[in-house]
Amino acid sequence: MIMKKRGKFLSVLAGLIFVGALAATASARELEPVVTTAWLEKNLDKVIVLDVRKVEEYRGGHIPGAVNVAYGSWAIKRGELLNELPADDDLRDVLGSAGIEPASKVVVVGKTATPADRVDATRVAWTLIYAGVSEVSLLSGGYDKWVADGKAVSTEAVRPRAKDYRGRFHKDLVVTKAAVAAALGKGVIVDVRERDFYEGKKKLPFVERLGHIKGAVSLPTSTMYEADGTYKAKDALAALAAAAVGADRDREIILYCDTGKFCTAWWFMMRELLGYKNVKVYDGSMMEWAKDPAAPMEP
Amino acid sequence: MDAGLLKDDVHFAGGCTPCHGGDDTQTDKDLAHRGKVKRPSEDLSLCGKCHGATAARYSKALHYTTAGFRHVVTKRMNHKEARDYNERVFEQSCRSCHATCGSCHVKAPAVGGISIGLIKGHRFVRRDEGKTCAFCHGGRVYPEYTGDYGGKADVHYQKGMMCMDCHSAGALHGDGRAYRFKEEVKGRPSCRDCHRPGNEERLTTRIAHLRHEGKVSCYGCHSAGEYRHCFECHEGGAQSKADFVLGLSPKNNRTVTTLRLVPTVRDSFKKQGVTMTHYDRLPNYWDAPVHNIRKRTDRTRSCEACHEEKRGFIVKERLIKNGSRSNAGVLYEPRPIPAKP
Repeated sequence: MIMKKRGKFLSVLAGLIFVGALAATASARELEPVVTTAWLEKNLDKVIVLDVRKVEEYRGGHIPGAVNVAYGSWAIKRGELLNELPADDDLRDVLGSAGIEPASKVVVVGKTATPADRVDATRVAWTLIYAGVSEVSLLSGGYDKWVADGKAVSTEAVRPRAKDYRGRFHKDLVVTKAAVAAALGKGVIVDVRERDFYEGKKKLPFVERLGHIKGAVSLPTSTMYEADGTYKAKDALAALAAAAVGADRDREIILYCDTGKFCTAWWFMMRELLGYKNVKVYDGSMMEWAKDPAAPMEP
Repeated sequence: MDAGLLKDDVHFAGGCTPCHGGDDTQTDKDLAHRGKVKRPSEDLSLCGKCHGATAARYSKALHYTTAGFRHVVTKRMNHKEARDYNERVFEQSCRSCHATCGSCHVKAPAVGGISIGLIKGHRFVRRDEGKTCAFCHGGRVYPEYTGDYGGKADVHYQKGMMCMDCHSAGALHGDGRAYRFKEEVKGRPSCRDCHRPGNEERLTTRIAHLRHEGKVSCYGCHSAGEYRHCFECHEGGAQSKADFVLGLSPKNNRTVTTLRLVPTVRDSFKKQGVTMTHYDRLPNYWDAPVHNIRKRTDRTRSCEACHEEKRGFIVKERLIKNGSRSNAGVLYEPRPIPAKP
């Protein structure tokens, strides 16, 4: 009887150790969050390069071996809101058809010519992590930098072998309007739009009101890039982030922009590169918030 | 011009003048350009010198004749009106939208006064849908397909397919017969070319397909949602609006499908002195092969979306004001799901 109990205890203990080891493995990154063209060139066989440019651009030339799923499949219009997450089953299909599994090491590559181009890749990277892909990186400077650096380009379209994607979704990475309202005065709310938008001097046509969410601090997305579309060095990014949100890595931080796309750039850097553990995206962003006359805004 | 290209491509073997005319013995630019032909492939016989069979077929293809514009709208007219329309509107305006050989293989056409110019530095390209199809079909179909309207990208685009993966070169060049409109063309792409009902993995999907066979088009269930409708484009001040419209196909009056608003209004050709005596013969809504297909939509997820909530089905109150009397024919009310015994 005692032997039986001890055996059961040992097997539970072994199980706990195994689960703990798995968790530790899951949180340990082998892949740097931001990779350079030189690194990627040497490691093409170790990662899935996910090209999120349009199909016609991909067909015109891409990183050898890259698979293509254009941005429009990763973020959809839901009701009135732009750049929303697809339904879970649709997202699983998109991931599976790209040959991506939860344990895949994925480097997301997009264009970097314009500010809007640059955040296609970060929004997709955020979506992959949301869907449970544990190792996701960004190519600094994107495809433009790859070409500018004279790296090899292929026009041979890659047809990935489809997988049955079974990752666990991290629903806690995205917050609703109600959660933002509850966080007012408690967590840090970050507006990543440009200063004129934050200060209420400008707004996009589909945003109902000028200004920012009450109490939000400003950290524009544009500050994280060098002129050539590559990311600034980690120290510089850390200083920018700390100046806006402080150095407490455990505090809740909610990021927003106009539609939930630009804010994924700082989300990625804060969580994946700088170690902020509790960073979330308000997907509805100003498009949703400013529509509600009761939602507090300033100035 | 790229000197290497001049050397490598047989199209340039005789220099510029065989296609563009002018005088290549002159050193003065103005003299050299005298008699220059801007769009040489307007004359199909030029390309036909080497590509005779293709040019002959293409001379009757709808992309060249644009006959579809003429034959549908003239159903709203009597014989005299149709003749006037043909002279004063079609030949003067609509006809300019035809695609020459060069429009798809050398220089993207100007649409609304905007052109991206040469497709690839005056190379003769086999296909480049993003710079050719996308321009003429960029008002509605193409951005629907790519998701650029902020909707959902078509699942075929997600999987890397472009226009010509379904719409073959053979179909675009035509089969040598002069068709009046696209529905007459044989061998048009069909969903069933690749997706045959009856082999579905899930039983519920198989049953859904069998139950709706002939009653609902593939688009009716698998269009992801809103697509573009154009208003008042013949009245000046054209506008477009996203909407999702389900109703009976005007073509067969039996199948529920996605419909798109036709921008022809009662006085579309008033300025040209052309009236439409039989305007009410055709509805203002027409079958829309919407290129935003998804495996799952509101309607594939839930029977109630159509049979209880009637989502997207056009009702009398939503029909356009002062529209055709035939519009009533597209209205359809789905039946409720029978209660389980």
